Amino acid sequence: MRALTTAVLAAWLGAAHSAAQEPRTFVVESPAMSTGEMMPRDYSPDGRNVSPPLAWRGLPEGTRQLAVICQDHGAGNPPPWVHWIVYNIPATATGLPEGIPFDPADPMPAGLEGAAQGSNGWGLSMYRGPAPPAGTVHHYDFAVFALDAELDLPPGLTRAELLASIEGHVIGQGNMVPLYRRQPADAAP
Amino acid sequence: MADETREGSAISRRALLRTAGAAGAAALLPGPVVAATEGGARVAAPGGVEPTAVPLLPPAAAPAGPLMNLTAHETEILAAIVDRLIPSDDLGPGALDAGALRFIDRALSEADSGQAEAYRSGLAALDRYSRYTRGAPFVELSARDQDSVLIDCQIGSATGAGVGFDGSSAGFFNMVKSHTWQGTFGDPQYGGNVNFVGWDLIRYPGLRMRVTDEDQRRLEAEELEPVRRSAYDFGQFQAGGASADDPSASGSDGGRS
Repeated sequence: MRALTTAVLAAWLGAAHSAAQEPRTFVVESPAMSTGEMMPRDYSPDGRNVSPPLAWRGLPEGTRQLAVICQDHGAGNPPPWVHWIVYNIPATATGLPEGIPFDPADPMPAGLEGAAQGSNGWGLSMYRGPAPPAGTVHHYDFAVFALDAELDLPPGLTRAELLASIEGHVIGQGNMVPLYRRQPADAAP
Repeated sequence: MADETREGSAISRRALLRTAGAAGAAALLPGPVVAATEGGARVAAPGGVEPTAVPLLPPAAAPAGPLMNLTAHETEILAAIVDRLIPSDDLGPGALDAGALRFIDRALSEADSGQAEAYRSGLAALDRYSRYTRGAPFVELSARDQDSVLIDCQIGSATGAGVGFDGSSAGFFNMVKSHTWQGTFGDPQYGGNVNFVGWDLIRYPGLRMRVTDEDQRRLEAEELEPVRRSAYDFGQFQAGGASADDPSASGSDGGRS
């Protein structure tokens, strides 16, 4: 009996310890950009303004779903200014392809069925790229969250609503933080 | 942060249509009310005097031919924009069918003549923006890319692209959007809403001087026959005594009824 009690207690303590652990860090990268580097203008309103391709690896064991927020911690009132939110991403996905549809009538790419986009700083459920003030360089944080549950969240959530919805389910996080400065046509070589 | 501000909540093409249906027409239309009959309309004078029968408007077509205030190239770009804002699709005819282009041209000749230059510079800037960011003139882009360009204009992100927008790209977008709504859902007296296609699109029941309990019941049962008459077909409203085809017909308010 004592052995059983000890085993149960150990298991409970282990679970409690696991839940209290800091989210494990994993790798977020892109074939188009990287942390600390200037992102190509195609992912901004100086170009096609399509969402960039993302990839991740090293997800924590037990990941059931993923969510992505692209945010500028140096803009917004209050910060951050949100450029993009995607969630309900199946754990089988290894990333997001370039150009996630901005029209909700268009289907998500294969392998991303069920994924939804949230409301960005302009109130649009789509990607809209960086547009910092002329001459300034801003940092764009692509934060990817690994979740321990399959949440069926409705489309159009704001960042605050998404963070509240995934609270207690985040078991891992990865970030990629490229930069951007506007590349206006009248300054092009 | 200058460009990353809320410059009006953005809208998709479909969302625009939904919004226009709910609020656009209500904002544009005067409040007279008419009870329709099969062969004409019965107009109730204020105070509940017995209505008077007036003839129905003959069907009209969206006028053709060049615009007075824009070049052929500018007209082509504007037509493409207007067509994306309220397209002709399975929901029905769109803004071009409603004559919104002609309405805008007329507005630029009359009450909104001060905006003619804003149109010319804005259209040129939008086309430069399309070429710089999507590699082709606006009219040659796919519908999806045209929508993407318009969204960038709407939220003001195109402003900083160095393509010559005079002020915020959102200002230009909102000007064109407002005129397109007016030209699609406004009173046909001002040259748009040809054949009442805008009112049909949003299932507007029409102008009525009096609504009976039976009208209300039929409206809620979706059985009410819509009234398709201009407010100026009724004696109590004056539009300078000119016909809808007369450019002077709208008087000084330029369609801002």
